[in-house]
Amino acid sequence: MKRWFGFGTTALGAAVLLTASGSVLAQTKGGDVVIAITQAPPSLDAQVTSAQAARNVTLQIYETLYARDENAKPVPELSEEAKISADGKTYVFPIRKGVKFHNGKELDAKDVVASLERYRKVGASASLLSAIDKVTETGPHEVTVTLKDVQSTFLDNLSSPRAPIAIYPAEEAAKPANQINYIGTGPFRFVEYKPDSHVKIARYDGYVPNPKATGRDGLAGKKEVFLDTVTFRFMPEAGARSAAFEAGEVQLLETVEGATAKRLESDKRYVVYKVLPFAFQVIKFNHAQPPTNDVNFRLAVQAALDMEEIMAISYPDINQIDGAWLYPGAPFYTKTGTEKYNQADLNAAKALLAKSGYKGEKLTFIVDNLRANTDTATVVQQRLKDIGVNVELSVADWPTVSKIGFTPNGWQFWAHGYGIEPYEGPASVMAPWVNGTSQLKKDDKIDSLSAALNSAMDEGKRKEIFVEFQKHMYDNAVAMKAGNYGLFQVGTAKLKNFKPYRIPRMWGVWLEP
Amino acid sequence: MSIAIAKPELAPRSPTMIVIVRLFQSRSFLIGAALVLAIALVAVFADVLSPYDPLRNSFRTRLRPPDSTFWFGTDHFGRDILSRVIHGARISLVIGLMTALLTGIAGTMIGAVAGFFPTLDNPIMRLMDALMAFPAIVLAIAVAAVLGASVVNVIIALSIATTPHTARIVRASVLVVREREFIEAARALGASDLRVLCRHVMPNAFGPLIVRLTYVFATAILAEAALSFIGVGPPPPAPSFGSIIAQGRDFITEAPWITIFPGLAIIVSVLGLNLLGDGLRDVLDPRMRT
Amino acid sequence: MSRFLVKRLAGAFVVLVLVSLMSFAIIWLVPGDPTAAFLDTSATPDQVARLRQQLGLDRPIAMQMLDWYARIVQGDLGHSILLNRSVTAAILERLPVTLSLAGLALAFALVMGVLAGIVAAVHHNRWPDQLVMSLALFGLSVPDFWLGIMLILLFAVKLGLFPTGGYVPFSEDPFGWAGTIIMPALTLAIIQVGFVARMTRASMLEILNQDFIRTADAKGLKRAEIMLRHGLPNALIPILTVGGIVAGALLGGAVIIEQVYSIPGVGRLIIGGILSRDYPVIQGGLLFLAVIYLTVNLVVDILYAVADPRVRLE
Repeated sequence: MKRWFGFGTTALGAAVLLTASGSVLAQTKGGDVVIAITQAPPSLDAQVTSAQAARNVTLQIYETLYARDENAKPVPELSEEAKISADGKTYVFPIRKGVKFHNGKELDAKDVVASLERYRKVGASASLLSAIDKVTETGPHEVTVTLKDVQSTFLDNLSSPRAPIAIYPAEEAAKPANQINYIGTGPFRFVEYKPDSHVKIARYDGYVPNPKATGRDGLAGKKEVFLDTVTFRFMPEAGARSAAFEAGEVQLLETVEGATAKRLESDKRYVVYKVLPFAFQVIKFNHAQPPTNDVNFRLAVQAALDMEEIMAISYPDINQIDGAWLYPGAPFYTKTGTEKYNQADLNAAKALLAKSGYKGEKLTFIVDNLRANTDTATVVQQRLKDIGVNVELSVADWPTVSKIGFTPNGWQFWAHGYGIEPYEGPASVMAPWVNGTSQLKKDDKIDSLSAALNSAMDEGKRKEIFVEFQKHMYDNAVAMKAGNYGLFQVGTAKLKNFKPYRIPRMWGVWLEP
Repeated sequence: MSIAIAKPELAPRSPTMIVIVRLFQSRSFLIGAALVLAIALVAVFADVLSPYDPLRNSFRTRLRPPDSTFWFGTDHFGRDILSRVIHGARISLVIGLMTALLTGIAGTMIGAVAGFFPTLDNPIMRLMDALMAFPAIVLAIAVAAVLGASVVNVIIALSIATTPHTARIVRASVLVVREREFIEAARALGASDLRVLCRHVMPNAFGPLIVRLTYVFATAILAEAALSFIGVGPPPPAPSFGSIIAQGRDFITEAPWITIFPGLAIIVSVLGLNLLGDGLRDVLDPRMRT
Repeated sequence: MSRFLVKRLAGAFVVLVLVSLMSFAIIWLVPGDPTAAFLDTSATPDQVARLRQQLGLDRPIAMQMLDWYARIVQGDLGHSILLNRSVTAAILERLPVTLSLAGLALAFALVMGVLAGIVAAVHHNRWPDQLVMSLALFGLSVPDFWLGIMLILLFAVKLGLFPTGGYVPFSEDPFGWAGTIIMPALTLAIIQVGFVARMTRASMLEILNQDFIRTADAKGLKRAEIMLRHGLPNALIPILTVGGIVAGALLGGAVIIEQVYSIPGVGRLIIGGILSRDYPVIQGGLLFLAVIYLTVNLVVDILYAVADPRVRLE
């Protein structure tokens, strides 16, 4: 079958034989991979967008001073290390020497300073760097950052992949948001961006891997590229994506429906990967509106819901029934305080509802038109009907919903995913509830817990704080976590050594002829 | 059967009678009317006819292919597609009917005023031209995006998209009638503008209007489905033909039945309305015969 | 004739101004703004406000409007927020895609529709007529996007004869182009085939009943010859006059079909613009579509006026 969108003939490089950890792997250099993604990245200026669609591409092109390893721990990437002063306020970053940008220029301290300064101005999550007082070039390959106050999470922030604090060449970093040339230090270089169609990146032959890294490790580690090019093709239609894959036009599907994955699993030509957990499914309450401002009402809803049903319909075959506000395996992960998760107890719910001031008014559940989110809302609506709560769905596209959902009027419930926050860690999980941002009413308890977490340098203390936060989420039903969900990814069996992660990493993989 | 009404001894007949007799002689009209009536009955008696609750989910029966228990299969909520299609007829027909009515009212008022009052003709028709310059479906998508997704808003969006053409048709009929002798006569007898318009002009524009509105009804059912497909249709969980199709899109290769059956339901409904429209046109508006 | 032209052009200008006003107005009616596409779910209101400022969305609406008009009179449709390029360039790049889709569909609609209409007229009231008319009616009653999905399921997924979507430019690979465009064009044409077939049949029947055809018939000319020499050319005139309607309908239909087959055309650009609130794309795209429609209709009207002098007096 002809590849309609790919690039006809594949230049097959010489097969290189390498010995890796005792076993012999035949790695093939060359080849072009087309990945179907659901959405076009809003920008390839990594610093200015926190959209998942952008990360998929930008994290292959750009690198950061610190990056997350396989377990989401911050480790040095473009920096050799971080020397932290005794008072915890000064960070000295020796910059790795010999690193080359895609334009051939060598990375130095000026690029780092300019990039950090740019991020503080235009970064999509500029608050990640809000603790910074000054960034100074203290040597040709040394940057010193001083903080206003101690921040226990500073390296976590610096290495956050959310809207990556990408290091650009100084002259690009001088440009306003969205107007840069896409030049980074990553293992892939930018080739072309056809809006509405695809982004193409190619192996950067001048890439200098981190000498201290040994293997593929999260978003850091050793990044060895075998492929010639990678094309991210934007295909919003699930049916079109899987059909294109089966027709051989696409080699990797970033996400497929459970039913499709099940069907493809039995076929030897394909390999199905599970990225689980990938995100939380969360149902938020508006605390600024009756009756969701009433703790008894919220507790009633929390008691009523059958999370298994919600997750099985919204994310069939790729969910975890888990009430903890972190991913399993995360350093602070614990089930303590989650006893009120997934009670599915209609009688208890009715009793709580009777204590609340709810009188049968029609409530609004806002939700965007992503299938899984709409399905969650639909299941919740049907379930709440059983305890006499009258909910109406208001479905709109994401821009509308996200606008309404941060205003105090016009909604009581809102469901969507939180993916990157739990990956980043406890502070990020707490952040959406600080200052009442997401629940629309300040919660002093959460605010003080968050402040304490940020300044506590002792890990045991931080862990205690997080447990307290988790308990508070359930005791007050601040918001409800329905469960963890994942993504099914499917690749051709010819795609070797692919290991799913938060983004489909294209380093370390090769394509068999 | 109904041909019996057309027996010659019934003559002489009133104009209305002639129309009715001709309609019952039209095969298009009869087949169309039968189909539309059937669908309408399904919609009205949906609660009695549907074997299951169209909203009740049970994830243990999800994505079942059609069999003797679930004739049309189930969707990913485990809901019975047959029951959803039966109930979907309700919302789809309501959207079609209300759009036709709203368009009829707005189109008649706008078209009549433009046709009857020459000073207002130009500004009104230029405004209609401007609305028609956007492809109707794009206009409907934009309006639906502005108003938000709900059955009422879908009706409004579709009405805005279909009104200009309707107004143009009404205006054309009005222009033709306006210059006729009997209008002059009515005027000479001192009838007011409004009276002339309502009593003498509009009845003559009625034929083309009713034909047009039948097609608007059909178009609205098709357009509702297209809006749902784009993601600005009526919200869940209540089913419409379009929203069932839209919900099946993610499962198209595994569970094509979710998409196939509501599509067939659309075809039957629209076919019926088109046949009905053809029959009406042949009788009421012979000039437009195609 | 020149008076007719002036009047018609003046009218078109007024409509254009109204269209541009509507295109602009839609952006402050639609809730939500383009920042949503850039930020994830944890974006704080501060971050949104900052991004709004960077994108120039915080300026007063009157200012933005003046800006827009100052630009469009120079033919500049502005700069897309999400595509990060000029809207004019984005449209021009996609125009060949949409035009080849709509153009091919138009060709299908005319060729298939006219042929079917002739067959039906020639065999008036016999089975070929009934078959053609039933099919035409069926074509008018099928939701085109649903048909597209079914065709993809059958021809692309089950049989593997066509790709499932995407687009290959003609200049790159003519066969690839044909492979990606034929199925969408047929899907798009289906409604118009029914429409044109019905039109052709009706106007053929009308012509065939006229005196000169009967005379020819009486003169003993062959029936086929009568059809082709006398019937068809006269019957085609009314069909050509609906060219404007068909072209407009195809342009609108292309918007949905592009979505079904993931074809990167103007329609997908505009729908994407609406759904992501890329204001300049919405404004520019709508204006552009409207201008095309107005131009086509203007040309059709003028041609019609040239062909039929009575029209000018209206």
